[in-house]
Amino acid sequence: MALNNAPSSGQLPPARYEAGVAEWMRENLFSSWFNGALTVASSVIVLLAAWFGLGWVFTTADWTVIVTIGGGFFIGQYNTELACPGQECFWRPQAGLLLVTLLLGMVWGIVGGVGKKVALSVAVVSAVLAFLPYDLESMGLDVRILLLANLPAVFAGYALVRYTSLITAQRVITFGVIVFLLILVLLRGIPGVPGLQPVSVVSWGGLMLNLLLAVAGIVLSLPIGIALALGRRSNLPIVKLLCVVFIEIFRGVPLITLLFMSQVLVPLAFPEDFPQNSVFRAAIIITLFSSAYMAENIRGGLQALSRGQVEAARALGLAGWQTTLLIELPQAIRNVIPAIVGQFIALFKDTSLVYIIGMLDVVEIGRAFIQGNPEYLGNARELFIFLAIVFWIFTYSMSYVSGRIEQHMGVGSR
Amino acid sequence: MMQNLTYQGIPIWRHVQVIQWVSQIVSGILVVLLVAWFFINIGSAVADRNIPYGFSFLMRGYQTPIGQHFLPYESSDTFQYALFVAFTNTLVVSIIGVILATALGIVVGVARMSSNWLVAKIATAYVEFFRNVPLLVQLFFWFYILLALPPVREGYVFVANIFVNNAGVSVPFPSPVSGGTALVWLVLAGASIAIGFFVHRILARREELTGKVSYPVIYGCVVAISGGAIAWIAVMLAAGAAPFVISIPAPQGNFGRIEGGFTASAGLLALMVGLVIYTSSFIAEIVRAGIQSVNRGQTEAARALGLGPMETLRNVTFPQALRVIIPPMISQYLNLTKNSSLAGAIGYSDLTNVAKTMTQTAPAVSIFILIMLSYLALSLAYSLIGNLYNRHIKFAGG
Repeated sequence: MALNNAPSSGQLPPARYEAGVAEWMRENLFSSWFNGALTVASSVIVLLAAWFGLGWVFTTADWTVIVTIGGGFFIGQYNTELACPGQECFWRPQAGLLLVTLLLGMVWGIVGGVGKKVALSVAVVSAVLAFLPYDLESMGLDVRILLLANLPAVFAGYALVRYTSLITAQRVITFGVIVFLLILVLLRGIPGVPGLQPVSVVSWGGLMLNLLLAVAGIVLSLPIGIALALGRRSNLPIVKLLCVVFIEIFRGVPLITLLFMSQVLVPLAFPEDFPQNSVFRAAIIITLFSSAYMAENIRGGLQALSRGQVEAARALGLAGWQTTLLIELPQAIRNVIPAIVGQFIALFKDTSLVYIIGMLDVVEIGRAFIQGNPEYLGNARELFIFLAIVFWIFTYSMSYVSGRIEQHMGVGSR
Repeated sequence: MMQNLTYQGIPIWRHVQVIQWVSQIVSGILVVLLVAWFFINIGSAVADRNIPYGFSFLMRGYQTPIGQHFLPYESSDTFQYALFVAFTNTLVVSIIGVILATALGIVVGVARMSSNWLVAKIATAYVEFFRNVPLLVQLFFWFYILLALPPVREGYVFVANIFVNNAGVSVPFPSPVSGGTALVWLVLAGASIAIGFFVHRILARREELTGKVSYPVIYGCVVAISGGAIAWIAVMLAAGAAPFVISIPAPQGNFGRIEGGFTASAGLLALMVGLVIYTSSFIAEIVRAGIQSVNRGQTEAARALGLGPMETLRNVTFPQALRVIIPPMISQYLNLTKNSSLAGAIGYSDLTNVAKTMTQTAPAVSIFILIMLSYLALSLAYSLIGNLYNRHIKFAGG
């Protein structure tokens, strides 16, 4: 990369274009009478919108609805008396968050750059949450300390990578899987262990549920999608048929229909004593749905690959599976990273659809609250603007990280 | 001794084709067995718990009202007809949504590439915001804004005939005097539009071949409109009444219910606004990518020939970009159609929402199969139209 961009000897880079403010405005805002009119019209609109928008945000809008729901946005009804008798369960999601920041610190140590930004911002935001004016009674001092501990945790993770040789890139991935499973166990609880009383998954909710579903879906839909894409391209007719039918059914029907029907049909499709729960079912449906789309993205990447790659690999004596795994897939996936990340973002947004099966995710928590407390019905605007911003922060950071990965891997420049 | 010398070929269990076929057949059988197991379980559950099954329910009365519907519907109508009404509800949202989202998306996509810095930034902000927020949140936002409007009695009235209140928006709308004459006129009007298109095509072709100015658009429109007008007069003379009259909404009684005209419920309006804005942000990106895919030399050549920026876009860049734009655009249209299934959250009776209610009184498996087929049919229809159009522009461009 650096070599490509460096000017070769004897050549100087072109002179930097410099213009004054007036010149810049003339070129970019008033290059013709039409452009000038557009500029004036759109600046009037922007100024009006900003004037009324900011006026509304700071004077008319009543943000108490956000504060009232407060911690519910993050954990749903996890710590209610019904879900967790004694309401001593708030520390468990917080401990999970602590593990995540530790993991992010390790990622920062290995990747640097964009990893640092993500890790530090998550840690800082988590630490700031400790200072929000929650009800101390329901929150507990220990939880505030746990939230504050995110800051040292992220640096601890970073230090573990940088100053010891304990953690390597492969171990971080293993550690990530362990952390995910550990969080599931932590949230679910273990019967008989003091402090870890079981909490039914029905009570899982809030942003926690969205993130759990999204992470499970993202991690699992990529390998399933790759398998489906390869199956669809294979020359074995039965395998191909099965993959095509699966992909087209899951792509043809809306996710919400699938989720709802899974709620009605899946309990019937398994014997009555078969263990199941709604979170698990939602995670499977979202994963399968997403992997059908993922398969099509990856298939696109495989199709765009020049045949010469495969032929060269075969000529070098690589076996069929080696060609696929070592030559075709890495290039195909690199070429469709934008589409894959787009699918991840779509998956994260789609986790809000679990309302249809009665799960209280971050959106449904808010909506159920204003439905149940009609005095807040007038504050729906504030609520949904807040939710929009919460989702936007996550999805925009995902596309930002993806942009950095693309740059790093040189997509489009080699 | 001879045995050791004769070549007996690869043993059958190591033969590539044998391995492939055996593994395929085994995996095929496993899948079939799994599906069969599901169905056996569903069957036994159905038998144990006395759950209804089969498709005989379709002839029964649905006995449940449907909020907003575009076809006449009574609660006493059958399940079959109710499903069809729900399907048309989805179809109307889908078609109108596709048209509006395309128009808005093209405007935003072009604005994003504008040489005007401010316009480009506004369009970028629009795309980055609406694309990254879940549709459900946007739908709720619009829906609760509409619900916060004053009730019907205190609602706003514009130009005396347009009513805006928390029940929705009521506007004057043509309504058929009798079904038969309206249908006859619609068929005749459709035919005259088709003839208009035909005239347009012939004249356009002549203009293209001979260079003679023939005004294809003007003549085409004149033929279509005059055909429709003649049909209107003919129907009026034959039946003694106009096929359509404009029905004007008016508040009724003290409760302030609004009768007449066309009332778009708050759910439908919020769904329309949310879907159009959400989808247009994706379409804008597709349009931008399409335009950027056109070789810069094309734009430069067009400008060098003296075409203005708008003419360049309309006559040079956009037609070439269309080839890149159409395939992803079709998949956005399908997404819009599938996303309209979120309607249930804001109280609009689309296909999924009605099906959800139906599962309380009818077999879920049968309903699921019908729903799946309906969405599949919609997908196929859109893909077909899109592919035909794609082929058309490919040939036109050479």
